[in-house]
Amino acid sequence: MRVGVVGVGCSKFGRRDDVTIQELAYEAVKEALDDAGMVQDDIDLSVVGSVNTRGYELMPAVPVNEYCGFAGKGPLRVEAACATGTAAVYTAYTSIASKMADVAIAIGVEKMTEVDTATSLAIGGRAGNYLWEFHQYGTTFPGYYAMHASAHMAKFGTSEKQMAMVAVKAHRNAAKNPKAHFQKEITVEDVLNSRVITYPLKLYDCSPISDGSAAAILASEEKIKEFGIDDVIWLESAGYASDTSNMTNRESFVGLKATVLAAEMAYRRAGIDDPVKQLDMATVHDCFTIAEIMAYEDLKFCRKGEGGKFVEMEESDIGGKLPVNTFGGLKAKGHPLAATGVAMVYEVVKQLREEAGDLQVDLKNYRGLIHNVGGTGHFAFVMLFRR
Amino acid sequence: MFIESRELLIKHKIPVSRISKYWKGLEGGIVYKTACKKCGETYYPPRAECLCGGEVEWVEVDGEGIIEAFTTVHAIPKGFEWNKPYTIAIASFGDVKIMGWAEDVEVGDRVRIKTGKDETGVWKVYFEVI
Repeated sequence: MRVGVVGVGCSKFGRRDDVTIQELAYEAVKEALDDAGMVQDDIDLSVVGSVNTRGYELMPAVPVNEYCGFAGKGPLRVEAACATGTAAVYTAYTSIASKMADVAIAIGVEKMTEVDTATSLAIGGRAGNYLWEFHQYGTTFPGYYAMHASAHMAKFGTSEKQMAMVAVKAHRNAAKNPKAHFQKEITVEDVLNSRVITYPLKLYDCSPISDGSAAAILASEEKIKEFGIDDVIWLESAGYASDTSNMTNRESFVGLKATVLAAEMAYRRAGIDDPVKQLDMATVHDCFTIAEIMAYEDLKFCRKGEGGKFVEMEESDIGGKLPVNTFGGLKAKGHPLAATGVAMVYEVVKQLREEAGDLQVDLKNYRGLIHNVGGTGHFAFVMLFRR
Repeated sequence: MFIESRELLIKHKIPVSRISKYWKGLEGGIVYKTACKKCGETYYPPRAECLCGGEVEWVEVDGEGIIEAFTTVHAIPKGFEWNKPYTIAIASFGDVKIMGWAEDVEVGDRVRIKTGKDETGVWKVYFEVI
């Protein structure tokens, strides 16, 4: 049974002091419903993805569900740290594929700016295994990725300048995306001269603390025909994997095994053996610049250790061999945890429908990929979409 | 316009009875891992039961470690405000990798393992470059 995306919505990302979590969610839901030409009654199941350990509403699924007009239809709340959004999409997808629902909406929403930065760092630092990491050593979320960066630099000679190039590309694309947190271009020097957050990562190597929401409506092929929808983006294949909570139980720190496994699963199911040739664009999890470099390698866009060169050679620019993070990535578009994965679906759908405006990529295969990581590779989802 | 929420402070009691030997070990300068007597699997952080069902024994982590990754944290999280920037490192000691605090380390450095307590009285592992 084929499952397609029939409607997408995404709020403006950034510091959203003007809205509560439910109001924020509804911005994306409304857009997705309008986009699909549907109303609440057309939806069988709502899946609400939200981490929201930083927001005042600790159990936000029901308030969000009610405000969006779905009381009585779910919600299923899902949480997979920064991969919560794709976990919500996956839940909607499998509900339809198993015929438990015909039309399902995946909502990803996150309010991250309701607490101060030191508190936010202390919450993110608990993303691994609290007692063995944060409690004793004061791990922070940037810190986990910085450790990966130190290992990658030592093993492959990846440079701070190459990492900076990831940020420059992200900001260049985000500058043309009105929904992005940042709409300002930056230079390699800006990145290198920004203050150190956690060596070797500097301020501009890090995604911002953002509020935001995104929504995607998925439907069965049968229902799509019934509705007479002809412009459908099919969810062609999905892979998922996980890894240890303790970073010390990982084999190495130069990549994320969960990404490798999730990609293998998604590629096998869709018959992909050369992603750079077979895809038109990809949206990868670039919470930090080093994360995008590792993603190129783990997703087989290039060989292990050559991720730095991949960005340096402009292969991932719009117009390059495989454009990556065309809407600005987590790095500059913003990273409201649970919204991120669903916003990736928004991006790939807009690109494959040729509705991406100034950020439109050339389409040859009409195929795109999304890659969403939870924690430091604790969860990973890789999904392929096709028009 | 904002309304301030009511304050909520959360402090948990973490049960460590099954691995109390580890925490007592730190106070005595010893870092323990566990090893299964049946299948030989080793665990760090230590766990009191092996996945194979075998009985575990406590084994001291000793000797030289090699630094595999590190970071120096400048943006300090709540709970560590008393500290200046600190360096977290991961070192491999044979079949286990261990997290600890260190000073002036690089990937590839050889280190010795020590224990100590920080300014808030939390015991932990420290690495000393050889």
